[in-house]
Amino acid sequence: MSTTDATASRSVDVDRAIPDRAFRTGALAGVLVLTASYVSVLLEVTGVVGGTARLLAVVAVVFAAATLLARAIAVRTAVGTALLFGAVGFGYYFTVTGVGVGTALGSLDRLASDTIAITTGMPLLRMMAVDSWALAFAPGPVFLSWYLAVRRRYVLGVLAGGIALAFLVLSGDAGVATTLAGTVGGIAAVGFGELELRRGTIAQADVLAVLFAAMVVLSLSVSLVPGGTPGPTVLIEGQGTDGSLEANSATAPEETTIAGNVSLSPEVRFTVRSERESYWRTGVYDRFTGEGWVRTGQQEAFDGRLEAPPGETETVNQTVTVEDDARVLPAAASPVEIEGDVREITERTDHGQFHPSEALIEGDRYNVESAVLNASSEELANASTDYPEEVTAQYLQQPEGVSAEFEDATAEVVADADDPHEAASAIEEHLRTEKGYSLNVTRPDGNVAEGFLLEMEEGYCVYFATTMTQMLRTEGIPARYVTGYTSGQQVDDNEWVVRGLNAHAWVEAYFPGHGWVAFDPTPGGDRDDVHYDRLEDARENNESGVDTGASEDVAAGPEGNTSDGPDLDRVEVENAPINVSEPAGGGVGPTEPPSEIPDGALPNDRGPNGSAEPGIDSLDPEGGNGSANATDGDDGEGDGEREFPPSSPETAIVGIAVLVGLAAGAHRTGATARVSRSARLQYQGRTAGPDADVERAYRRLEILLERRHRPREAGESTRQYVEALSGTPSFDPRARRVEELYERSTYGGGIDRAAANEAIDLVDRMAREELPAIGRLYTAGRNGR
Amino acid sequence: MTDANTRDRPHDPIQEDRPTAVEPLPTEEAADLCRAVTDNVAGVIVGHDEAVEHVVTAILARGHVLLDDVPGVGKTMLARSLARSIDCRFRRVQFTPDLLPSDVTGVNVFNQKTREFEFQPGPVFANVVLGDEINRAPPKTQSALLEAMEEAQVTVDGETRALPRPFTVIATQNAVEPDRTYELPFAEVDRFVKKLRLGYPDPDEESEMLARTVGHHPIEDLEPVTDLESVRRARETATRVRVEAPVREYATRLAGYTRDHARLGVSPRGTISLLRAAQARAVLSGRDYVIPDDVQYEAPVVLPHRIRAGSDDPEVDGTAIVERALERVAVE
Repeated sequence: MSTTDATASRSVDVDRAIPDRAFRTGALAGVLVLTASYVSVLLEVTGVVGGTARLLAVVAVVFAAATLLARAIAVRTAVGTALLFGAVGFGYYFTVTGVGVGTALGSLDRLASDTIAITTGMPLLRMMAVDSWALAFAPGPVFLSWYLAVRRRYVLGVLAGGIALAFLVLSGDAGVATTLAGTVGGIAAVGFGELELRRGTIAQADVLAVLFAAMVVLSLSVSLVPGGTPGPTVLIEGQGTDGSLEANSATAPEETTIAGNVSLSPEVRFTVRSERESYWRTGVYDRFTGEGWVRTGQQEAFDGRLEAPPGETETVNQTVTVEDDARVLPAAASPVEIEGDVREITERTDHGQFHPSEALIEGDRYNVESAVLNASSEELANASTDYPEEVTAQYLQQPEGVSAEFEDATAEVVADADDPHEAASAIEEHLRTEKGYSLNVTRPDGNVAEGFLLEMEEGYCVYFATTMTQMLRTEGIPARYVTGYTSGQQVDDNEWVVRGLNAHAWVEAYFPGHGWVAFDPTPGGDRDDVHYDRLEDARENNESGVDTGASEDVAAGPEGNTSDGPDLDRVEVENAPINVSEPAGGGVGPTEPPSEIPDGALPNDRGPNGSAEPGIDSLDPEGGNGSANATDGDDGEGDGEREFPPSSPETAIVGIAVLVGLAAGAHRTGATARVSRSARLQYQGRTAGPDADVERAYRRLEILLERRHRPREAGESTRQYVEALSGTPSFDPRARRVEELYERSTYGGGIDRAAANEAIDLVDRMAREELPAIGRLYTAGRNGR
Repeated sequence: MTDANTRDRPHDPIQEDRPTAVEPLPTEEAADLCRAVTDNVAGVIVGHDEAVEHVVTAILARGHVLLDDVPGVGKTMLARSLARSIDCRFRRVQFTPDLLPSDVTGVNVFNQKTREFEFQPGPVFANVVLGDEINRAPPKTQSALLEAMEEAQVTVDGETRALPRPFTVIATQNAVEPDRTYELPFAEVDRFVKKLRLGYPDPDEESEMLARTVGHHPIEDLEPVTDLESVRRARETATRVRVEAPVREYATRLAGYTRDHARLGVSPRGTISLLRAAQARAVLSGRDYVIPDDVQYEAPVVLPHRIRAGSDDPEVDGTAIVERALERVAVE
């Protein structure tokens, strides 16, 4: 009984039962965190299309209802209520989306396939009425989990909330931090709930903390591995949503975020034989999140000619030969028919764009027929503004919280415009003239369109197109963001070679009676210089894949486009996620001279391999691909600030979790107690009152005695302890004196300063003698003095 | 004090029992006094030094002692020699089944000469009262004695009379004839500050005792070593012994342990008794403050008879539980 019991007695506070109330608070807080995690995801998604206030109100009402009903209704009734909430919500959702409840119920297979699509990674944002969907989704789990938590059925409550969170995780909408918070909340609720029900102690809470930390760290380290560094293939193939511009053009993913720095690839992507020069469109996007673009709706197999735009059109036939693997079907807008082997794998989006369902490989060839709008400026100016409802519902979307400044600035630009066409032209002209072209930009925080219009002075096509789209929507003109390639290098009368650096983004605005009309707000001249410098460099360096047989012979000068011909804006974004420095930082990389002038700035410092190996240096700011470069749009002065790894919320959460875990683990194993005891043993100040000093001196003595002899037993008084030890040969008689002083101080109503000092001195001397060599020397020195 | 006086002046027990009237002895003197008494008694009672000490501290602690033992081990001798040592009035009451409460407390008798009732004080009007085999008397008589013990006063015919101070009852229980006894109610056992067991002396001691007592009994020669006034002052000294918070908390934890581990644990009255006994023990050591060791020394005689173990195992009785409490409850 000796050692263990004594230890137990000293750490008796650890075994003290924590009041149930504390555990209950912890458990309820856990459920709240879990609820907050998935509600925050819904809020974020809803924020893009508007309606967060409504969602919050619904959640609040449901919360109140759950709290009130917790004591009133039985579990079975509550489950029924939650199901009712869900039924009413989704009934509302189907009504809003025009599907109708009856239709929805009539096509359950369709519902099932949609659900599967969502749970296999289709982001919620791709849903048409995502705000209504969130409203329908939230009440059920919120009600049930809170109701069960209030009734102390924590496990079931966490199950209800956890399913909701899991759904959003599967859809890919819940980020790492959110998921983590939700998971930790759920575990906390279950853990604290169990502790409450089983009357746990602090020691058990320790275990819980260690578990948390282990869980957090494990889950993060697992999830970090696949998503850690975007490899070069990701950028070129554009598999991810990494914000690569060419990736967008070359793959047209459903979602794209807007990146910071971009670079150029001179490799040939495809050649087009066409009756007419055009931009080759690859993707259409309608929903702006503030940070990127999302294409709503799903793709369906191409099953027959698409409808041509309502206005007067000209049929343009193109033959596209794929020169590099691709996941897009470039074609002039608007494609209506496709022929060739590729037709088998062609899908169409709700926006009238073709996509291949699997990757095309080099040498694939297809014919595509496009109905190209043929409307004059006058006709467009006279077009009505009576937009069809399905167009306004989809293409006027703006994220919540668009600032008044943005609206004011837009209104100023279009002040003199009398009709939508003039307004669009004014915006286009404004952006072309007021903003410079640069590939070295840092993405602004928050709404990119606002950041570009109000703060930045330079950008590339993505910024121009995004901003123009949002400006048009602010003015009530339906608009959308499209990606693709400019016409490319003309190598023959009707043949064009299109390279990675031709990737581009532009704008389409809707004109009733005509259709979608393209606008390109990106200034042309600067861009051409930048891009051809890049091409020349590549040729000089003998990079592979830069030319086709035909394109080598053609002078690499500007393509001789007329001023209103297709503009060129060919960029490839590299490792955008690395680039998170603040716009205010305005730094440029260590090897990069300050560059505020777009032309020529970028290519000069590129390594000989350039972006032919775009991923190699993606993590190395000195690698020469300029990924660390950032030019501040405001002052244009490079501060030479080097980038730091991102200090994301995830990092902070991991850090905190690790700290908590370590602390709890140390507490659990008694390491903290040991360290602090060893430290206290050697030195003791004389600050507190004499009684406190004597007590501390005695505690130190006990540690000394414990090391030399044995710890004091639980039921042993200090006097008995010292008496018992006094029989052993190595007993230090000074211990008895210290014990006497301690006894007098503790039980005898206190002692004076002198006695306290005596006790401290005795213990000090004993402690130093206990030390190896140094201590003895010190003692000897003191004694000799 | 005449009866007339008592009748004219309404009795005020609170005023009469005021302890402040006595000046405490210095701690060292009180310790010497105790030692003297103990040594004196030990000259008569061989081999029970510890029990003698316990009885002396019980007197200092203003408490009463229950001796639970077989007959003939010297219980009566202990009480008598103690009374003689402190030069005080000693009375012995043999409890029998037909003993009446008035036989203990006293009775009003009509005096033919004065034509008035006169109070004939019972045996409780003494400083040391030996209640022999109290479990043989019916409960009503027992409770008369117990009221006297608790209140230090008796009430006869509606009139309350204070008992002398100090007033200590040393009661014995007959443990060998359970079928002829009325078991003391638990609540009343609680009123004894200590329950002691003398037990048989070991062979050497018994032989020495025989040597001393055969022929001339030493109690005949026993001289007082102190007086009542000094005892009162020593008692006052004990009440002033310091009991600091850590000690109080320790006593509370001990009591708490017994409450957690028995069907009926130590009552708050038991905790008070424990600390009073510890105070007396501190005086005996010449200390004016209680240390946990005092508490630990007294606990095995102060606590066990207040605990009802409620266990089927006869080994797990009050004594065992207190032993375990002393072992497990941490002294801070």
